[in-house]
Amino acid sequence: MNESGMESLRTSGVVGDRIAGTVLAVLAAGAWWHSHSFATGFMQPVGPGAFPRLVSVPLGLLALYLILRPGFNQRWPHRAALLRQVGALMLLGGYSAFLEPWGFLPASLVTVIVLIRLFGAPWKQSLVSGAILTVGLYALFEFALGMPLPNMPGLSW
Amino acid sequence: MDILTFLAQGFAVALEPQHLFLALIGCALGTLIGALPGLGPVNGVALMIPLTFNFGLTPTAALILLVSIYYGCMYGGRISSILLNIPGDEPAMMTTLDGYPMALKGRGGEALGLSGVASFIGATVATIGLTLFAPLLVGFAIRFGPAEYFALFVLAFATIGGVTSGSLTKSFIAACLGLLLGTVGIDAVSSVPRYTFGWFELYDGIDFIVALVGLFAISECLVFLENTQHGSKPTMKLGSAIPGMRSAWQCSPTIARSSLIGFISGVLPGAGAALGSFLSYTLEKRWLGKRGDFGRGDPRGVAAPEAGNNAAAGGALIPMLSLGIPGSGTTAILLALLLSMNITPGPLLFAQQPEMVWGLVAALFIGNVMLLVLNIPLVGFFAKVLQAPGWFLMPMVVMVAFVGVYSLSNSAFDLYLMLAFGVLGYVLRKLEIPTVPVVLGLLLGGQMEYNMRRAMSISGGDWSILWNSGISIGIYAFAITLIVAGLVFSWMVKQRA
Repeated sequence: MNESGMESLRTSGVVGDRIAGTVLAVLAAGAWWHSHSFATGFMQPVGPGAFPRLVSVPLGLLALYLILRPGFNQRWPHRAALLRQVGALMLLGGYSAFLEPWGFLPASLVTVIVLIRLFGAPWKQSLVSGAILTVGLYALFEFALGMPLPNMPGLSW
Repeated sequence: MDILTFLAQGFAVALEPQHLFLALIGCALGTLIGALPGLGPVNGVALMIPLTFNFGLTPTAALILLVSIYYGCMYGGRISSILLNIPGDEPAMMTTLDGYPMALKGRGGEALGLSGVASFIGATVATIGLTLFAPLLVGFAIRFGPAEYFALFVLAFATIGGVTSGSLTKSFIAACLGLLLGTVGIDAVSSVPRYTFGWFELYDGIDFIVALVGLFAISECLVFLENTQHGSKPTMKLGSAIPGMRSAWQCSPTIARSSLIGFISGVLPGAGAALGSFLSYTLEKRWLGKRGDFGRGDPRGVAAPEAGNNAAAGGALIPMLSLGIPGSGTTAILLALLLSMNITPGPLLFAQQPEMVWGLVAALFIGNVMLLVLNIPLVGFFAKVLQAPGWFLMPMVVMVAFVGVYSLSNSAFDLYLMLAFGVLGYVLRKLEIPTVPVVLGLLLGGQMEYNMRRAMSISGGDWSILWNSGISIGIYAFAITLIVAGLVFSWMVKQRA
């Protein structure tokens, strides 16, 4: 894992913090602007927009301060790591979509095997460990804990 | 002596065989999860909260189970701080200073045993303190109106910045972001949908459990994907935990002093466990002077922060339960846990649901005893978990997260939302913006807004009601004092480093 220690992984946050500050400032301004569309009900001294406005003011000011005085960031991922992360997110997004139509077992089997591969294990190990992990978790959730999992189509017990 | 009666009742409930069994399971499970390399206690508890909803337990039983998992995770985190020099959470940082050198000398088992005993004593001191101090707060609670509650929430957010070390600006940004995210959904007062952009899945608001699992567990996996290494980890000679009992006896003056210091720093809202372990370690180091061998594997260097940390965690229950202000990341998780069970901490909790408070105190205490019983003999087994490879563990964590969140509402939308929060959590971490205040904002935003609007309808739209009473002025003044104290404290730490 992180043998090199956390401290050496810090970098200057000039770029990152300024981008974040800009995004947050825009978010705060958008939230402020959008809150005016919330209709205030009858006999209410303050409507549903008051609290979001109350929060977006400090958020906006702090975001501007962050742009002016950026701090530190953790080191951002390299290209290879970023590719793995994007791959994992797409895989998990697909898993979310296919979990119900495919059922827990097939969807999880595919996901877990690819995921283990993404975490750095070779293919053979991924296949074996993935199968063991999926079946083990299925047994644990379905039978030991009695949690309702989506079943494979045409198969139910 | 109402309180003693309630406490006795709490213990009677907690000691029922079924509850004891759940406490045992919870502690064992928690220790395993907390010891998972890289996962840590906060992530571990976050991961387990949705799962426990599926067991069909009574609220008390679920509370006992979750609290035991919480304690187990905290202890499991200590295993990785002592044996791997990777602190699972902030307070555990001081433990690594002498714990890891002890482990290098082959006395890891002893350090873990000692840490178990020291935490137990610290937690016991805190439980006694809680019993003594809580009655004072019950009388205080009656004078709180909506404006004072609002001030209290401001205090909660002002102080969380003092705790999560790092930039104050960034933790306030995180809190505001959380509060803003908390307003998503249909407004309870006027039934107007806010920031839903036509997505009916968002009408119920963002489920904080989904956010919690995403921000912690999923983002942890993304961090893990950065550097994948395939290979085995070095094994370390552990040694037996039994000598830990003897060294605990030798360290008893240290444990007593540190428990007291920890408890006092825990009671201060916003200070919490990190300050408790920091203060007890540094003060003990100064107290012993040349008689100590701190930093090179002195058992007292393990005993002091562990006792201080747990006494502080117990002491932090006072502001957490009575004012709703969590002192640290882990107390915030405990707050999330209570809110997920429809227990709202705050001044009224002691007056209206005393049985809940004392049941919780009893559960915490039982959890601690369980840990002691469980870990002294089994520490070697738990330490094995550390050798489990990341490529196997992390997919497991992902699966548990997915199944847990899916079981909440059976909707794929929550899974997408969880992934989105995972990305958000990852980006925030890279920016060194703490994620705990985001969760707190989500948790407390609804209550904060409700009290603000109630105050406004009492005053007929006059904003000055928010700072018109002595109590609210006092709370704001206290918040400012704590922010200044936090700035001074972090300045001092920087000078030392």
